[in-house]
Amino acid sequence: MSQDVKLPLDYFKHVSLFWTDLLHLMSGKPIALTSVGPMRNWANDAKKVVTELMDANEDLVEFNQRLTEYYKQLSETWTDSQKKVNAKIPTIPQDVEHIEAYKRVWIDIFENDFTQLFDSEKFGQNYGKLVSAELELSKHWENITNVILQSMKLPTRKEIDEVYKELHELRKRITKLEKKEDRNIAK
Amino acid sequence: MQNEVIDPKLVEEFLSFTKNVTEAPKLVPAPNEITLESTPFDVVYEQDKMRLLHYKPLVEKQIKTPFLISYAIINRFHILDIQSKKSWVRKLLENGIDVYMIDWGTPSNIDKYLDFDDYVNLYMDNCVDFVRKEAQVDNISVQGYCTGGTISTIYATLHPKKVRNLVVTAPVIDGWKDTTVVSNMAKHIEIDTLVDRMGNMPPEFMYYCFSILKPFEQGLEKYYKFFKNIHDKEFVDNFLRVEKWLSDTPPIPGELFRQWIRDIYQENLLIQNKMYVGGKQINLKNITMPIFVQVAVGDHLVSPECSMPIYYAVGSEDKTMRVYPIGHVGMIASSFSQKQILPELCQWITERS
Repeated sequence: MSQDVKLPLDYFKHVSLFWTDLLHLMSGKPIALTSVGPMRNWANDAKKVVTELMDANEDLVEFNQRLTEYYKQLSETWTDSQKKVNAKIPTIPQDVEHIEAYKRVWIDIFENDFTQLFDSEKFGQNYGKLVSAELELSKHWENITNVILQSMKLPTRKEIDEVYKELHELRKRITKLEKKEDRNIAK
Repeated sequence: MQNEVIDPKLVEEFLSFTKNVTEAPKLVPAPNEITLESTPFDVVYEQDKMRLLHYKPLVEKQIKTPFLISYAIINRFHILDIQSKKSWVRKLLENGIDVYMIDWGTPSNIDKYLDFDDYVNLYMDNCVDFVRKEAQVDNISVQGYCTGGTISTIYATLHPKKVRNLVVTAPVIDGWKDTTVVSNMAKHIEIDTLVDRMGNMPPEFMYYCFSILKPFEQGLEKYYKFFKNIHDKEFVDNFLRVEKWLSDTPPIPGELFRQWIRDIYQENLLIQNKMYVGGKQINLKNITMPIFVQVAVGDHLVSPECSMPIYYAVGSEDKTMRVYPIGHVGMIASSFSQKQILPELCQWITERS
């Protein structure tokens, strides 16, 4: 992200966080006297969601840059391939046999050029970063979902993952014990 | 005027093609209506989502040593029995080979922690033990296709006494030598971020990988040919079966995928004998049983340069390598494989069983 875009965004984020934090602290004590339910956390949860949305905005810039580069590479390759086809066969034929030959040439040239692109270092690098940027965005979405899940007293992804891991370990242990027992019986 | 020079045959061709497109739903079943299994089998063993299939014999005289196929972790096992005339499994059965197949199933989120250790030392080892027990033999023949070839290779290094013969068909072995677009992407992906965020490797990601392999031949021309040949029953049946198989892409367990990409494509540990599975170092020199390596020149998923190094890396004295002028799927499901590849394989197995 360029410096001139990042600074105002950081400043905006800082100011927003400052006021939400301060207001939350200021309102915390009087509200605590009267509130008895889970809504006490509402402001805090809302702050987390807003922070995630602001961070997601930053990552969206990176994602868009990578996506633009991705489409640029595709469109440049398409243009170059079409130029090669035009150079080889300047006019589109109007009879069945020649149309078939034209199609074959078109497919061969496009296939070759696009395979070269997909096999290139520049494509691989950009694609890798594009996927990572997309995953960063999904991380923010997941964090927001986790805030909502926690507010509803439901398990988060992290908690579910812990259960999956535990189950995996248990399944493995049981299988090993079963095999051991089978071996003992066989003896 | 341009219209004056248009070939009437072209108009006829266009109208005929349009008619075929319109009539297609009346002539052919929807892919979902097609059943892929063609050779009868029994499910003889199951563990979690994995199933062990035992195909019913087609001839009376049977070779004593059973033959276990470890299918790839990408897509499903059906391609090895896609159609009776092109069935890998059927041909083996016709040659008196007792065929078992591992179907890895469709992992879900709960399976995200499954790794190489689970696939090799639990699932595959349990299948091998089951087959050995049922056939009352000490060791069996094992074949692995594609990524299943890698799993079989690792299995053979860790459990060499249980493997009498090893057949690897387009195995992924030397990641750095792989020249395919799949390996280019695998080398550039931030694998930890992907697995940590997504859990399992989602099927959509595999669809993307498939879509950039021959995008115009496979994405446009193939469907044009389908509609053009809509009245050719055999062609259409074969097309729909392969299409259905292609679209059935299960997720890959996250930890298995992480180790796969990192250890094989990015750090290339397997061929250097530096990979660890279940805490044990994988040494390809431990493979001393007879080995048959099958490689396809036109393979755009696993390039020959990636598979061939296993031939030189193993400790076997009895080793055979065949390089065929065909592609990745053609090697296992084509008329060529029926005429050339399978007869050679069947003879090789028979002589060593």
